[in-house]
Amino acid sequence: MSEIKTIALLGQPNSGKSTLFNNLTGLHQRVGNWPGKTVEQAEGEFVFDGTTYKVIDLPGSYGLSANSEEEVVTRDYIQSGKADLVCILVDASQLERSLYMLADFVGIRLPVMLVLNMMDVAEAAGKKIDVAAIEKRLGVPVLGFSAAETERYPEFFKKMVSAIKTPVCLDSGSLREELVGGGELAEKTDNLISRIEAALGDFEYGVCEKIWIAEKLLEKDKLICGVVNEMLPFAHKNAIDAILDSEEGRDGGMLTGEAKYRWVSKIVRELATPKSIEKVFSKWDRIATHHIKGKFFAFGIMVVSLIACMILAFPGMGIGFGMQPVLQSLVERVGGALGVWPVVISFINLVLVGGTCITICMTSFIFAIIFVFRILEEIGYMARFSYAFDNWLSRLGLQGKAIMPLFSGIGCTAGAVCGTRVLDTRGQRLLALVLLWAIPCGSKVAVVLFLASTFFGSAAPLFGIGYVALIFASFYLSSRLFGKKLVPQNERVGMIMELPPYHKPHWKMIAAMVGRSTWGIFKKALKMILVVAALFWALSYAGDGNVENTLLYKIGNAIEPVTMFFGMRWELFVSYLGGMFSKEASLGIMSTLFNHTGEAFSLVTRVAASENLGEALASTISKPEALAFLFASMFNVPCVLAMGTTYREAGSFKWLATIMGYYLAISLGLAFIGYHIGLLIF
Amino acid sequence: MKNADFVDRLSLAEMGENRCGTVAQIEGDSRFISRIVSIGLTPGSAFTLLKNDKLSPVLVFCRDTVIAVNHKESSQIFVKVES
Repeated sequence: MSEIKTIALLGQPNSGKSTLFNNLTGLHQRVGNWPGKTVEQAEGEFVFDGTTYKVIDLPGSYGLSANSEEEVVTRDYIQSGKADLVCILVDASQLERSLYMLADFVGIRLPVMLVLNMMDVAEAAGKKIDVAAIEKRLGVPVLGFSAAETERYPEFFKKMVSAIKTPVCLDSGSLREELVGGGELAEKTDNLISRIEAALGDFEYGVCEKIWIAEKLLEKDKLICGVVNEMLPFAHKNAIDAILDSEEGRDGGMLTGEAKYRWVSKIVRELATPKSIEKVFSKWDRIATHHIKGKFFAFGIMVVSLIACMILAFPGMGIGFGMQPVLQSLVERVGGALGVWPVVISFINLVLVGGTCITICMTSFIFAIIFVFRILEEIGYMARFSYAFDNWLSRLGLQGKAIMPLFSGIGCTAGAVCGTRVLDTRGQRLLALVLLWAIPCGSKVAVVLFLASTFFGSAAPLFGIGYVALIFASFYLSSRLFGKKLVPQNERVGMIMELPPYHKPHWKMIAAMVGRSTWGIFKKALKMILVVAALFWALSYAGDGNVENTLLYKIGNAIEPVTMFFGMRWELFVSYLGGMFSKEASLGIMSTLFNHTGEAFSLVTRVAASENLGEALASTISKPEALAFLFASMFNVPCVLAMGTTYREAGSFKWLATIMGYYLAISLGLAFIGYHIGLLIF
Repeated sequence: MKNADFVDRLSLAEMGENRCGTVAQIEGDSRFISRIVSIGLTPGSAFTLLKNDKLSPVLVFCRDTVIAVNHKESSQIFVKVES
């Protein structure tokens, strides 16, 4: 076994950290949760020159203060000292602001390497950066880089290897000078920093220098305050409290912040030219950020994106749809000629072939959504969504850019679920997932409208309006029920964010990243769909094709007394369950059970609804039952793939089960109400 | 003395578009200060106000970056406007 080196990637949001992470590790990555935390942990590996490198993608944060759970995770990891090298990424096109992360890192004794990412963007904006001079000034390895350009990776590896071979930490001397000398507020800071350092005495805290601890105390960092409180003798503690409570001590966070930026400015203003303001805030952005035009513009982008998704998904859908009948008849003919048992042919067609084809269809929309979202994020438009819709969505506890995944839910829930990754915290993502499940995808709308027009004819539009009202009501309920826990009130500070500059998309890299994640999703989806299809096949198989000889019939009849409580006879309840697999399956099952079409009783049947299904349903099912089923269908679980992607994004089975349970309760609850009201009316 | 300096102080929320200024003072809890400092606004930072229409967050250009600050929060940031 060769040796393993650990590299931690640290950077602000939009610094290109995840691009670097993905390009370094490719398919060799795992996404899970940090132990005991609800924050996503991305970890991967790559081998270079016989050495294995483990890469930790730390959650993005603007600095090292431990305010949010993400930042606590980042801090804990850094302080654990597990990293052989901390690779700090900054956005070269916004050098001055983004170097704050480096300034905040000064005083931590861990080997670092600084990556000035997006040099291409900086150069295009007319910015010149003297990388060698910055390296000399800082005394640590510095690389001018562009993580999206795959051909530049040899430079990265070279720098990284030498940075690990001869590890250097940042020297805190020059920052100390800023904290104790220079600047109009320096006299106060000097006083404070030296006094706190004196009060700390011989206090030691892992990789953190005393000056760093003093800064964080002045910034009222909760973690450090807690540690100091616990570990320091009483007298020292009191001395520190007194300093922090003094008039200048209360402004400590501003004082240290100012000193850090002064430190950064000295590096940047000599060694790099600033950008021109015209290039930063274009006419384009004047429209995109206008309070009315900006929203129209954003809606326009959303509609275009949705259309683009449909176009991108089309080839995959076509292949999936087209292959199924061809393959199935092939299997039947070949199997028949070879004298294979019908049960085997049935299994191959209804589970293996059908399952694979349906997975291809479903995954193609996921591919399209990931692709379009990636582009929007890459060119920098996603942040404009946040700006335009923050006022609306903050009422639900969400960031403005959540509008994008929510809107694309109209196209496909499973894909939109993957799109929630654009949100910054796990709480935000989970809340968006909960809301998203209520938004009907195209297929669900089709089913609901079909049922409404079948049973209630000209009153169907009323159901459409009622449905929309119920969806908004469910948003309100969800944000009340889940919002407080997932997005705590103290994290709901108003928007403070940067609007990143527009970038040209790097197609090659986007295609590679999207290809990799789609392939990963496809493999998992295929397994899951095959298992569910096989299970359903086993329950619904009858040698003679008679529904009454299936296990499902027997189970269905046995539980009918319970399901009738919700107004659903067993046929309807099985259709409802089929709707959890796919909306088409729900209609397909109804066709088999009510219309006796002779179609195989299966989840993978792609005939949406047989011709006279409507009449058959209307003649068999009473109005109250129809009402119950209609309501149940409105808030039914989206589909098997949406469950899969939700599990992937939520990262926990518990959350998937919670969201499922929540929607089962809503849909069955509404079915119950609908049925019993229906009994009174009709 | 200190208070007298701020009698006619102006917050970011009240500032006109396309004007330049420097941050004079930021008020709020340590969490807010830490957020606003880490995104680049500190006392003494020079900036240009790009957009302030009272209906959407204020946009300023500071340290090579366009920064959006919610209206309510922007009234906690006090500025000196260049004439």
